[in-house]
Amino acid sequence: MLGFLTARQAGLDDPLRLRRAESTRRVLNLELNHDRDVDRIHSNGVNTIDIEVIEGRYMLSGGADGVIVVYDLENNSGKPQYTCKAVCTVGRSSRYVHRFSVETVQWYPHDTGMFVSSSFDKTMKVWDTETLKPAEVFQFEGNVYCHHMSPIARKHSLIAVGTKDQKVQLCDLKSGSRIQVLQGHRGEVLSVRWSPRYEHILATASTDSRVLVWDVRRASGSLFSLDQHNGDKSKASSEAVNTAHNGRVNGLCFTVDGLYLLTTGTDDRMRLWNSANGKNTLVNYGKVSNESRKGLKITVSHSCSPEFVFVPCGSSVAVYTLHTGELVTMLRGHYNNVDCCQFHPDYQELYSGGKDCNILAWVPIVRPPDVEEEGTAAKVGGCTQGVIRPGSPEAWS
Amino acid sequence: MNRKRALISDTFKVNKRRVGNEKQFGAVSNGEAGPLDVKATLQDLMTLFPRKLFNDALPQIVLKHQLYSIHNDRTQVDRQLSDLREQGELLMFQLGFDAEAFGLVFAADYKAKVLAGEEGRGTRGTVDKFLEKVLPSCNDLSFNKDKMLKEFLFTDSEITQLVKSGVLTVRDAGSWWLSIPNSGRFTKYLIQGRKAVLGMVKKSKYNEVLKAELEERQTNSQVKFQIKYHIHDIIGAELVECIPTTSGTLLRCVDY
Repeated sequence: MLGFLTARQAGLDDPLRLRRAESTRRVLNLELNHDRDVDRIHSNGVNTIDIEVIEGRYMLSGGADGVIVVYDLENNSGKPQYTCKAVCTVGRSSRYVHRFSVETVQWYPHDTGMFVSSSFDKTMKVWDTETLKPAEVFQFEGNVYCHHMSPIARKHSLIAVGTKDQKVQLCDLKSGSRIQVLQGHRGEVLSVRWSPRYEHILATASTDSRVLVWDVRRASGSLFSLDQHNGDKSKASSEAVNTAHNGRVNGLCFTVDGLYLLTTGTDDRMRLWNSANGKNTLVNYGKVSNESRKGLKITVSHSCSPEFVFVPCGSSVAVYTLHTGELVTMLRGHYNNVDCCQFHPDYQELYSGGKDCNILAWVPIVRPPDVEEEGTAAKVGGCTQGVIRPGSPEAWS
Repeated sequence: MNRKRALISDTFKVNKRRVGNEKQFGAVSNGEAGPLDVKATLQDLMTLFPRKLFNDALPQIVLKHQLYSIHNDRTQVDRQLSDLREQGELLMFQLGFDAEAFGLVFAADYKAKVLAGEEGRGTRGTVDKFLEKVLPSCNDLSFNKDKMLKEFLFTDSEITQLVKSGVLTVRDAGSWWLSIPNSGRFTKYLIQGRKAVLGMVKKSKYNEVLKAELEERQTNSQVKFQIKYHIHDIIGAELVECIPTTSGTLLRCVDY
């Protein structure tokens, strides 16, 4: 680490290099910290978590009881011991609450005044954060498994919705109508994701074992389907030709630069694809156990070198290196299955939620203060309470 | 490329292979002195294959996932295997009982055994032709009718002869897997033995057994291969979890 610091000081290294080195060191040190807690509001399993991209301060969570909670992640108390409090809740007593479990929540990508939630009660609601009332409700014919709004879109404000139906619906926020339908899947659509690189590229995953990549401007159908054997028809049995997995595909995630796409399936495999041409990069992660009947939310780290992918695996979260497939560690701490996880890019923290109704915060290990002399050891020990965590906001000022 | 400054990933030793030293407590080191050598590992594993059991009629077969139990980096193993296959030294077969179980045989071994098995049989000429023409040029695991008829100019009756001799197995209407003749018994014994060894681990107290202890155990009549062969098989296929302990590697049954 000192090498990086001196190189940065002397101008030998790009400033970005020191940042990436420190981010990587922090991600490799993730663990449960008893100083950091998240308020426990849900009574029936947390299905989805989303952290807003503008400030990284507010977190949304949706539960199996239909409740949606907004938490404040920022620690303004000055003490290291901090519980992330729930700022507001759409609870069971609200008139507009979802009747069944909330499957996906997402903040509006451009500000926190709005968020969208979709649920098994066949609706998707666009909420106003201030009043906690839905500004718009979209009705569907089947359970809504997932939805996603493009984080970079300027020319459109479409929400892609995956439901029990085989058609992927695109709903427009500006007009409030369902303007487009993408046909191509032969099974329920479990996961949809917009590319973070091109605002018109969408990837969808379904129970028919296929992942299709679409350009929404094109009227005639998907661009291509991801094939796990890269066109080598000889490798698999004939039913498995042109499929992304040998089972249902339930997790989709683009890397932050949008160049690669990760998919997980119920065949206990995770695959990394080149998102430009749809080729399987053949990185072998081993057995990534996956028993989820609905979508699984995986997430990747941001600006580390090498990048890491966090996958909920049973009751723990597995951390793999993205391009080599090496299992770095298993984060154990939940009492029951983990359903979702989300990476906080600014502080390199991981939040994960599961069936045990807890949201756990995995925080990089605090570096203990250096002891300079024997004599001052007692003094240093005494004032650890006031030690500023290296990554915390106070340390920057 | 002359890299004057170290990669960030090397500093944190996320990907760097530590050579030789720094053994984890108890866990036996892989013994890789330097870069990954898949070919040497393959040759080591081949010695575990029992030739006498099949009266020397089968070439030595190693399963692809047995390599994963020895080397940690699966992606590198996969890449080296595909290199060896491109060079024509190694052949890969779909064994049929599991979509992911692939058998590996050295090409020279395979040719020798197949031709030895064909001695005196009428199908020998066709098999010869197949081995000479198809194997060096095509790395696929399966062939379909179009390819056989047009590219390699085999007639229907020749294809029937190849299936009869065991070199091709039916996959579905109009396509065939490349296969090892007389490998049916191999697959049967493998599955039997795998079940028996897994049963041994399951019956132990707490469903876990030290790897060294399992290797010493007496095997019952169900297990026809060497127990080490089966141990590599179940570790590589991730049917058991490998846990490093102070007394060596522990194998624990995975519940699903």
